[in-house]
Amino acid sequence: MKNNVILRLFDICAEFDGELILNKVNLRIYDKSFVTLLGPSGCGKTTTLRIIGGFEKPTSGKLFFNSLDITDLPPYKRKVNTVFQKYALFPHLNVFENIAFGLKICKFSKKEIERNVDAMLELVNLKGFEKRGIERLSGGQQQRVAIARALINRPKVLLLDEPLGALDLKLRKEMQTELKNIQQQLEITFVYVTHDQEEALTMSDVVVVMNNGQIQQIGSPIDIYNEPQNAFVADFIGESNIISGIMYKDYMVGFLGHDFICVDKGFACNEEVDVVIRPEDVKLLEVGNGRLEGVVESIIFKGVHYEMKVDSAGYSWIVHSTLPKDIGSLVGIDIDPNDIHIMKKMEI
Amino acid sequence: MKKLRILSLPYISWVCMFTIVPLLIVIFFAITTPSGEFTILNISNVGRYFSVIVKSILLASIATFISLIISYPFSYIISRVGGKTGKIAMMIIMLPMWMNFLLRTCAWMTILEKNGLLNKLLVYLNFSPVNIINTKIAVVIGMIYNYLPFMVLPLVSVMKKIEPSVIEAAQDLGSSGFSIFTKIIIPLTTPGVVSGVTMVFVPAVSTFIISRMLGGGGNLLIGDLIDMQFLGNSYNPHLGAAISLVLMVLILLCMSVMNQFECEDMEGKLV
Amino acid sequence: MIIKRSCLIILSLLILDLHCFAQATAASDSQVGMHRKYINVYNWGEFMSNGSDGLLNVNLEFEKATGIHVNYSTFSSNEEMYAKLKSSNVVYDVIFPSDYMISKMISEKFLAKLNFENIPNFKNIFANFKNLEYDPQNLYSVPYLWGVVGIVYNKNLVQKPVKWFDALWDKDLAKNILMFMNSRDSFGIAQKKLGVSFNTKSKADILNAAEELRKQKKLVQAYVMDEIFDKMQSEEAAIAPYYSGDALVMMKNNPNLDFVIPLNGTNRFVDAACVPANSEKKGWAELYINFLCDPKIALNNALYSGYSTPNELAYTMLPERIKNNKVAYPEQDVLSKTECYVYNSKEINELIDSLWIDIMIADEDNNVWVMPAFIVVCMIALISTNVIRSRLKKVNSKI
Repeated sequence: MKNNVILRLFDICAEFDGELILNKVNLRIYDKSFVTLLGPSGCGKTTTLRIIGGFEKPTSGKLFFNSLDITDLPPYKRKVNTVFQKYALFPHLNVFENIAFGLKICKFSKKEIERNVDAMLELVNLKGFEKRGIERLSGGQQQRVAIARALINRPKVLLLDEPLGALDLKLRKEMQTELKNIQQQLEITFVYVTHDQEEALTMSDVVVVMNNGQIQQIGSPIDIYNEPQNAFVADFIGESNIISGIMYKDYMVGFLGHDFICVDKGFACNEEVDVVIRPEDVKLLEVGNGRLEGVVESIIFKGVHYEMKVDSAGYSWIVHSTLPKDIGSLVGIDIDPNDIHIMKKMEI
Repeated sequence: MKKLRILSLPYISWVCMFTIVPLLIVIFFAITTPSGEFTILNISNVGRYFSVIVKSILLASIATFISLIISYPFSYIISRVGGKTGKIAMMIIMLPMWMNFLLRTCAWMTILEKNGLLNKLLVYLNFSPVNIINTKIAVVIGMIYNYLPFMVLPLVSVMKKIEPSVIEAAQDLGSSGFSIFTKIIIPLTTPGVVSGVTMVFVPAVSTFIISRMLGGGGNLLIGDLIDMQFLGNSYNPHLGAAISLVLMVLILLCMSVMNQFECEDMEGKLV
Repeated sequence: MIIKRSCLIILSLLILDLHCFAQATAASDSQVGMHRKYINVYNWGEFMSNGSDGLLNVNLEFEKATGIHVNYSTFSSNEEMYAKLKSSNVVYDVIFPSDYMISKMISEKFLAKLNFENIPNFKNIFANFKNLEYDPQNLYSVPYLWGVVGIVYNKNLVQKPVKWFDALWDKDLAKNILMFMNSRDSFGIAQKKLGVSFNTKSKADILNAAEELRKQKKLVQAYVMDEIFDKMQSEEAAIAPYYSGDALVMMKNNPNLDFVIPLNGTNRFVDAACVPANSEKKGWAELYINFLCDPKIALNNALYSGYSTPNELAYTMLPERIKNNKVAYPEQDVLSKTECYVYNSKEINELIDSLWIDIMIADEDNNVWVMPAFIVVCMIALISTNVIRSRLKKVNSKI
């Protein structure tokens, strides 16, 4: 059963100070999904989020919420709430009052407010912190207050602007799990902005990769990771080896002086393409056993695996392997056809 | 810590020389007669001028209140606009302060006089001329004009500290215009309001040039009375010191009332 | 250790500070290096010819003649001069107080007796300007310039003829009348209106004068001093008392203005050169005063300031139109009706001053709502402080 489209961005363009930030962005966001806008700094993901939230107006284009045009609607009229990057908690109110703010605006009764706030505090594991002043909270606690505050109005869509950036690794991982749980529990649409691709892959149902104000690819984390549609996505998601090659014909590509069988088709004959191979897909064999040969230049222990740089015919391969090789040793390189991804050359 | 103490020595000696010692001298003059005996009469004589003190406090309060009303929205706009426009706006506010105080007050005389600019304009527009000079209204106008920048400065500085994302968060949660103002901006700017009010009220209460030039001498305030003790026909520094002392105590009382509104941890800082 | 040391430093600074109070420096000290010989002269503003309008620069001429440099500073009222002399420790060598101030300073032994052998030019002074009321034996002062207080009025705005000070109480001129912001001068005018001497010691007379002033208050546009000059010229007001010397200038600037010396008597003010008792350069001071009595110098000063000169030889050198001006040099019979101020006793001064303050602070129109408004404001302040405090207590207690 497919959920309905709760948010639709139609040809959204945004220009500030003469600079084009968003260039004809089109996006459909489905109800109850966890969508992440992923991209490097300056790609326009935060601007997109702020346009959804109503804090910025697009130069052109339309925004639809459940088929209603909300492009010109001010933020306080939208059924959308935001968790800000620096939390933006109200410094003069304590935890209870911060969370209760949204309900107070809607003029709920005192009992109702108390009931709702208590429920929220329970949800974010901050029971007992009601009267605490917010300057006495740790980063993680403030984070949770911000989330509780945003959720109390029961928005249909929750926008999160890189909320975990300021937290340490362990806390971040905990919060990622918590956020995912909250989203599934409350069945709210989350639109999440981050530049951390690992975070995006962990939490999301849908990942939207953006660069230079344009959407590069939309897909599930697995799709994005395994089937990047262009070199940018491939490079941004995970680590990749990107090599220039020529597609001789369907299922046959040539690069670094050798021909390889691959599983992609649909390119023009002898078209120049980018070949993307994941570091963990590069197999190092005994010298003479692979189609290519190379010399191990460097090796770094990364805990989970060893990261090695192998120089082969002028190209420096990034290889992830659990078996280390000595620096300077000759190795053979081979790649399974399924692990060779072909994509159109990136327009510069 | 030792270094801090040494660094604070210049300030401490300054405070001693120019604040504490003169204060003691004023108190001494207030409780002695010209021949040097101790007396309470100077201070009790101040009671005759109670109505003047009340008038001074009242006019200063009105002037402070109006200054606050005028500067609050303007300060808000300056703090939000920022950049070059904001800086230019601030400079325009501060510009009159670079001019001599007497000259500025004199200029208002020219504007408010019977044949002054204001009446000339009103007559030109076929309205009847107004008589503002030499009334309390003129004194209040003079106070507001001279002390408004002192209200704007602390307000702008406190408002600039309010992060825009806090206001966006309030909007996000459903509050618009007015309730953002009352629930967010006013509580967060209270320290600035307290400073501004202090910086306007205190000089306004003790002013004497404004009341003399714009009030026409018939609207004497407590500052004029003190001035008359020193530069009037009878040279009576003891009574002058006594009036100053009473005024100082009253101002301190007013200030302590104001300080109830200030909460130290209620700064606009973002955690 | 640090505390002890800092205490020592603060203490020494305090002592230094008190020492400074006892030895305030004047500009003269900084100029000692430049000029070996100098005297400190303290005069009214715009009262000594300074070289403009083609006239002599008196102080420069004095320096050229004697080699003594003049450190010249000015004041705008007798009280200001008196307060300055009493409170600061700058030693002035020549000062120019007015009549009553001279008598006050004589009674306080503030002035030095002059050695008239050093002031031979004193013979140039008119006979009827010697031995005046404030210095009956003429031991302490040499007249410098004089004038009378009269009424300056706008011929277009005042219908009735103006002859006496009564004109300042004219109900038809309500809110168009200016008065002096000075207790002695205003009381003097009221006393003359009642036909009483300025120097009366009768309490009843003074109380009556106060009553007149109280009645006048609602007719007065403003109580001012030097602003009368501008306000009359710009026709802001119709009538005001003012000084003869300035009145001449005003009449030149605005031909609508006229000046009249009240026929039943008015104040003749004389500003005279004196030497404070604590001056250490009495000889040079007397040299300076003698220089001022030189006919040419006195002539220049009279022409510059617009006031009348008590110097007979200088008078003869005046241009005809000034000599014959009845405002600057009234007829003898008018002059005989004028009085100089004498310093009143301490009680009379205090009586006049306190009556004056009462008149000044009296406020008929708004007295009704001032107190209630004040009470209301206080109550609001009290209530709101209590509310805030209780709220704060609630918040703080639950943490």
